[in-house]
Amino acid sequence: MKHSPRVSVPLILSVITGLILAAGPPPGDIGPTYAVSNCRIVPVTEPVVEKGVLVIRDGLIEALGPVDKVKAPDDAEVVEAEGLTAYPGLISAFSNLFLEQPARPEGQGAPFEDFPQAQAQQPQEDRFPPGPGLLVLDQLKPKRSAVEGFHKAGFTTVLVAPSRGIFQGQSVVLNLNGEPIRPMVLRNGAALHINFTTERGAYPSSLMGTIAHIRQSFIDAEYYAARQAQYAKDPAGLKRPEYDPRLEALAPFVRDRRPVVFQCNNVEDVKRALKIIAEFKLNALLAGATEAWRAADVLKKTPVPLLIGLDFRPPATSKYATQGDELRKKAEAEIYPGNAAALAKEGIAFALVSAANADGASVLRGIRAAIKAGLPADAALRALTVQPARYLGLDRALGSLEPGKVANVVLVKGDIFDDKAQVAKVFADGVLFKYAEVSK
Amino acid sequence: MRKPVSPLPCLLGLCLLAASAVPSFALPAAADGGDILIKNGTILTVTKGVIAKGDVLVVGGVIKQVGGDIAAPPGVRVVDAAGRYVLPGIIDSHTHLALAGTNEGSEAITPEADVGSVINADDAAILTALSGGVTMVHTMHGSANPIGGPNVVLKMKWGRPSEELVVREALPTLKFALGENVKQAGRTVQPGQTQRYPATRMGANAIIRREFEKARNYMEQWDRYKKAAAAKNPPKNLVPPRKDLRMEVLAEVLRGERVARCHSYQATETLEFMELAKEFGFKVQCFEHIWEGYKIADELAAAKIGISVFADSWAYKMEAAEGIAYDAGYCAKKGVLVSINSDSGERVRRLFNDAAKTMKYGGLSEEEALRLVTFNPAIQLGVDRVVGSLEVGKQGDIAIFSEHPMSAYTRCEMTIIEGQVFFDRASAAPKAEGGAK
Repeated sequence: MKHSPRVSVPLILSVITGLILAAGPPPGDIGPTYAVSNCRIVPVTEPVVEKGVLVIRDGLIEALGPVDKVKAPDDAEVVEAEGLTAYPGLISAFSNLFLEQPARPEGQGAPFEDFPQAQAQQPQEDRFPPGPGLLVLDQLKPKRSAVEGFHKAGFTTVLVAPSRGIFQGQSVVLNLNGEPIRPMVLRNGAALHINFTTERGAYPSSLMGTIAHIRQSFIDAEYYAARQAQYAKDPAGLKRPEYDPRLEALAPFVRDRRPVVFQCNNVEDVKRALKIIAEFKLNALLAGATEAWRAADVLKKTPVPLLIGLDFRPPATSKYATQGDELRKKAEAEIYPGNAAALAKEGIAFALVSAANADGASVLRGIRAAIKAGLPADAALRALTVQPARYLGLDRALGSLEPGKVANVVLVKGDIFDDKAQVAKVFADGVLFKYAEVSK
Repeated sequence: MRKPVSPLPCLLGLCLLAASAVPSFALPAAADGGDILIKNGTILTVTKGVIAKGDVLVVGGVIKQVGGDIAAPPGVRVVDAAGRYVLPGIIDSHTHLALAGTNEGSEAITPEADVGSVINADDAAILTALSGGVTMVHTMHGSANPIGGPNVVLKMKWGRPSEELVVREALPTLKFALGENVKQAGRTVQPGQTQRYPATRMGANAIIRREFEKARNYMEQWDRYKKAAAAKNPPKNLVPPRKDLRMEVLAEVLRGERVARCHSYQATETLEFMELAKEFGFKVQCFEHIWEGYKIADELAAAKIGISVFADSWAYKMEAAEGIAYDAGYCAKKGVLVSINSDSGERVRRLFNDAAKTMKYGGLSEEEALRLVTFNPAIQLGVDRVVGSLEVGKQGDIAIFSEHPMSAYTRCEMTIIEGQVFFDRASAAPKAEGGAK
């Protein structure tokens, strides 16, 4: 850099850039090499290795296998892991981790309140906030304690979904490798999230209005995309279609079939979502769906990726919730935990997700309850590893222990979903986190 | 149509029953398979007279035989109805049950807000309806808006998935409303809020007219586009109009594919709405509640517009002040197609009581009164070819009452839909009493 007596603009910029980069691993720097030795290895996609070695180099898995086949490289730091089991880091393909959105002002429906004046003057067609374009990444406040909580439950990867409004915005997939947010980002704008909720004191104020609003929005997005494409092809002789930020944000989800996630709060929402998905040929996933077993017939006929939540409280409209406390409590304890088990029995594929369960411990309790209610433990493991990786389109990088994949590894004393299991160490992107000294 | 019940919910349901003594989880006896023989009852066919001691046989959900001495086919459940009354399942022409939300009240014009998209088959009001012999309801958008949303007709198949409740044979309808509710007479405008248009009866009429004019214009735009697109040499850069769900529903009304069901209380605004319908050429199937129907009975009969009304409970608000208990009976005698409705998930269980009031007020016969909650609503909903009376070939929707349904001492003992028992007092009552303790 040229030395200058005056502080130049480029200098300021480079200082700022330096500061930002200092927050994450320096670019081009090579991460450490580890040899996790003498552990039991559960790759998920391959048979279990009873006593093996797992080699991690620069954030990726380099090799794994039985101790007599795979040797620790000379430059590796050996992590002695006898008595521990190595699993791929669990993935929650729908969570609210790090989400701290400002409280909604009274009477306002959506998270966008920047220009109330301008909104009030908008013509009726533009009366909705530009929710689809919101990137939840911009609202996240990572916390070390939250990362630790998820690590200790075995998670290394989460999709964080926005949580307000009908068209809620776009999610981000994070690899929980520290505290700074940028190095965590696996994919921004992972999916558009839609919830069957209402706006307070504004249109739509009822669920039927919401469904019409969702449909009209996709109709408009298709129309907008077609007009814009026609104009881009040859503007001669065409009136220029007017720019609309909301439809601009929505268009890729109909035009390019980018993923859309519908939050399904009860069995009817599942059916409502399926109708909208079919109408607009969306590439969609259903999240929550804690009553999915009640729509098993429909889901078998129309398979759709399911992100099954672990909140077992019966939804407010459910017949299990409206007929007395005794039944509601019984349903929460005995019926709703059986959702995943029932789906597995019917041969319906799904991932398990942490959803609104804020801390790792409660997620783990949910997983254990689902297993106690009949979900085979190996099915639970797949529903938290390979299945969500596939649903997120990240299965070449995540979801199992294989050479070439991201080094997301949890080392557990005991079986991962066992009540007494204890997470001893976690690798996320090859970064080692030590949690407990576990005796052999 | 019927699907086997998946084992898990069924087992869970049984466990619950055993454990909690809550009666509502008894799934209908699926083993019936839509076949049932009802023996030795007094058969009130509604359309074909009364059989003093007769039988009704339902096979595969459809009425196969009505008459005397019908032998039970092998394996068919036989219900002894000796001393009891067998009638077609009661039909409610206007209610709001089994829905997640009733009004899209944020705006005055919401024909895109379809109640058919928010069915909630878990609503316990379905059970309530069944306990009163009701097998079918027209569940509707509320009356908050001059133009509300499309309505849906449901069978009360408690425990079945929502899609199995929908009656697809029914006439598509759209809810309209006039009077105090739409002008928000009871609403106090808070500081900072604005009064929603319309605030008067003339405004309600005007906004409906305006929307139909918009819809006409919308249809014309599409017609022009389609014509241009179909031409031999379609113009280059032809751009289709924007599809608008709100206008699409109104276009269905203007094309005669969907009929109007209009909430109105007073005679004048009702006549104005009839004029509007004539002007735009759409069909009004029925006026709802219409307390002043007796004032315009001749006009209603001539226009072949039905009414769906309460039996009594008038004068609960200003616009009901001139309501009279004789409204239903008088209009029926004048040749208006009348039904008695519940408007509620509670009154729905005593529609037969409400219908019987027209015998005292209006002088209808037992047969005429029973029609108000069976065959007449079936006509209003466009389903009289399939339900509404006990006739061979119709769907086996049947209620069994302890006394004549127009008696003050009667109660519903059993409710059957398409040959399947969905309510049986003999098994429901002890459990309900147990649950209440």
